[in-house]
Amino acid sequence: MGANKRGPLSRKTILAVVSGAGVIGVWFALTAVFRVIPPAFLPPPQNIVTDFLRILGSPYVGHTLIGHTLVSLQIVLGGFFSALLIGIPLGILMGWFKRIEAIVDPLFQLLRPIPPLAWIPLSLLWFGIGIQSKIFVIWLSAFVPCVINSYTGIRLTEPLLVKAALGLGVTRQRDLLREVAIPSALPVILGGVRIGLGAAWMTLVAAELLASDAGLGYMMQMARRALEPSVIILGMLVIGILGALMARGLRVLEKRLCPWVKEEEH
Amino acid sequence: MTNERRSAKLTAENVSVRYEKDDKSFLAVDDVSLAIQEGEFVVIVGPSGCGKTTFMNIFAGLVRAASGKVYMDGEEITGPSAERGVVFQQFALFPWKTVAENIEFGLKYRGIPKAQRDETVRKYIQLIKLEGFERSYPHELSGGMKQRVAIARVYANRPQVLLMDEPFGALDAQTRTIMQEDLSGMFLTEKRTVLFITHSVDEAIYLGDRVIIMTARPGKIKKIIQITRDNLIPDRRQMRYDDVVNRKEFLDLKADIWGLIKAEILEKHIL
Amino acid sequence: MARFLQRLGERIYQEKIVLSISSVLGFLFLWLLVTDVLGLMPAIVLPSPEKVFFTLYEKILVPAGEEKLFGHVLASLVRILVGVGIALALAIPLGVLMGWYEDLDALASPIIEVLRPIPPIAWIPLAILWFGIGLGSKVFIIAIGVFFPTLINTYIGVKFVDPLLIRAAQTLGAGDRNILWEVVVPASVPLIVAGVRIGVGLGMMCLVAAELVAASSGLGYLIMLGGDDLKPELSITGMILIGVLGLIADRMILRFERKVVYWKKE
Repeated sequence: MGANKRGPLSRKTILAVVSGAGVIGVWFALTAVFRVIPPAFLPPPQNIVTDFLRILGSPYVGHTLIGHTLVSLQIVLGGFFSALLIGIPLGILMGWFKRIEAIVDPLFQLLRPIPPLAWIPLSLLWFGIGIQSKIFVIWLSAFVPCVINSYTGIRLTEPLLVKAALGLGVTRQRDLLREVAIPSALPVILGGVRIGLGAAWMTLVAAELLASDAGLGYMMQMARRALEPSVIILGMLVIGILGALMARGLRVLEKRLCPWVKEEEH
Repeated sequence: MTNERRSAKLTAENVSVRYEKDDKSFLAVDDVSLAIQEGEFVVIVGPSGCGKTTFMNIFAGLVRAASGKVYMDGEEITGPSAERGVVFQQFALFPWKTVAENIEFGLKYRGIPKAQRDETVRKYIQLIKLEGFERSYPHELSGGMKQRVAIARVYANRPQVLLMDEPFGALDAQTRTIMQEDLSGMFLTEKRTVLFITHSVDEAIYLGDRVIIMTARPGKIKKIIQITRDNLIPDRRQMRYDDVVNRKEFLDLKADIWGLIKAEILEKHIL
Repeated sequence: MARFLQRLGERIYQEKIVLSISSVLGFLFLWLLVTDVLGLMPAIVLPSPEKVFFTLYEKILVPAGEEKLFGHVLASLVRILVGVGIALALAIPLGVLMGWYEDLDALASPIIEVLRPIPPIAWIPLAILWFGIGLGSKVFIIAIGVFFPTLINTYIGVKFVDPLLIRAAQTLGAGDRNILWEVVVPASVPLIVAGVRIGVGLGMMCLVAAELVAASSGLGYLIMLGGDDLKPELSITGMILIGVLGLIADRMILRFERKVVYWKKE
């Protein structure tokens, strides 16, 4: 079952195309040809394209598609970066200094099992329906993985490397942290950043579904009320694509910052 | 003993070391006293688990003795220091640094300016014959290359003492031979005080001025053989490994030492 | 000397315990201080600790919304169990087959890769449109959340199983299907279980999200009700229970993992 190349296309590519065409074909058949599925439920494929062009150019519930996207992005990135700024140093310090771990860890473990989404109602109560409530929850969702991964990364520092640094003259705790533990932990820390970004993005969508007046989640909720599933699907696609792009971007950054890490498969 | 303490480079006085494992405590090293002179290449051999690595770690300041003290230049050793560089069996190179960055690590930490550092690094890269690999990362290197970088890293830091814990243990036989020759050559060019731990009797006789044979656990000194002082194998350092290893004097010594170690293993039922 | 070190070690350990306990106590004390003693926060913003405990107890007998506490917990449990069940029943076999048969992989992968980046929460509006506010929509969301991580991990486990094992089985005369079910799948169990663990964690988040957005029972609904009725103690109760539920689920999976993977050290 190797790669049977027929000309420039491999078997794998052909099957992929067949699969994609098949899905779209069935979709088209069920919605446009046989009309088994009503358009309020699932629109024919071509509607997706036309609606895409429609909301790209003119505002839909307040903003164009790009407008909603930017609103969402702003909020996500705001919460996300502030989570990095606090979470990573905290995780690092917790991982290196046992005292700090002893103080912070129990509180952290108590709050950790609560899904960040569960904080949304409380957050709304505290901060109102404005942006702050959303940023708080998003911050929380990115904060946890950053702390955990930074902590783990530092704890996984190889004692052998610490001994090597000691024998080369680095004797102070904070120097060892800076010269050995942090560089060694960098790949894991970046992994946590990636997870945090994914979590932040998800939390944003949920927050926007619940209480918002702009943004992709809001757009999808409004589309649902108006029985326009094509806009919902478009929202989903944009969210998915953006999420994938951000993850890809972070992976590239990881490779740049950690050129010594061997390639993993997935 | 005090006079010796002042004149010798490294001194161990009645050192005993315990180590804990699963609630039980073992005596790893039992009341060992030793003096190492400046510029001496001392090798410790012995059966597995005889405490030779632990003993070296005392000098490195990485382990505290349960009783007894160690000194360098007459002053008590209380912790690790750049003056006592360590080379490990598993290389311990910093994977996030290139070859050049690894070698200059100690210098950079001490604040030595870049120009000077670059020159030192260049010199040592030449010495270990790794020109062209300055910007490579450790994971791109073979075992032998990694260990050469590790040795260069320590050498570049100009410690007064080198502590080497089975540095060639992880290398294949051919690489190992070449590394021994290289180290011997480096030692001739830049003399330091060296304490070298190994399993291999060949290696011990080839490299060491003095060979210390340790007993099985708890480690004590079984016998000391003065290779250089008693000129047991003349002109040893100027010769190639293959030529040395086949000489009758070498083989006799090897038989003696190995006999002692074997007796230890059989007596104490280690295997 | 060793005894000294031992005592020093014990002292550090004790110090850690002291620090940990005092930090938790300090947190509770601060909470109490801010709410009851100093009255800094109005009760509708932050309830005092004892009010939360009282609510927890009270709601066992008195309904909140349409159900008593037990009813809400049950509702959430049912949704999670059904969702996880459906997802595992689909994801694991599909993952195994996709990992083993390259043609199936080539056919299914494009569809999976398009759907995977879309966060399960983004499916909520569509799910509500399709399934209404009943059990179906929530089960759907949870199932999506659990499905993908489980599928991916199963796929990777099967696809990248140690080829040495396969070769050994072949030289012992085993046929293709035999190898798959007798060798490859058991060898992949650790990865599969890891995927299930991640999936269930995600599923819990989806449960909360779905119950926040569109439910009239369940723990997520309870949290939402607390926000709507300006009774944050209800929200906190719900959050605590969700956290506990998540912890229990995670521990159970871990224990299951240990049992099933008894042949692997570590």
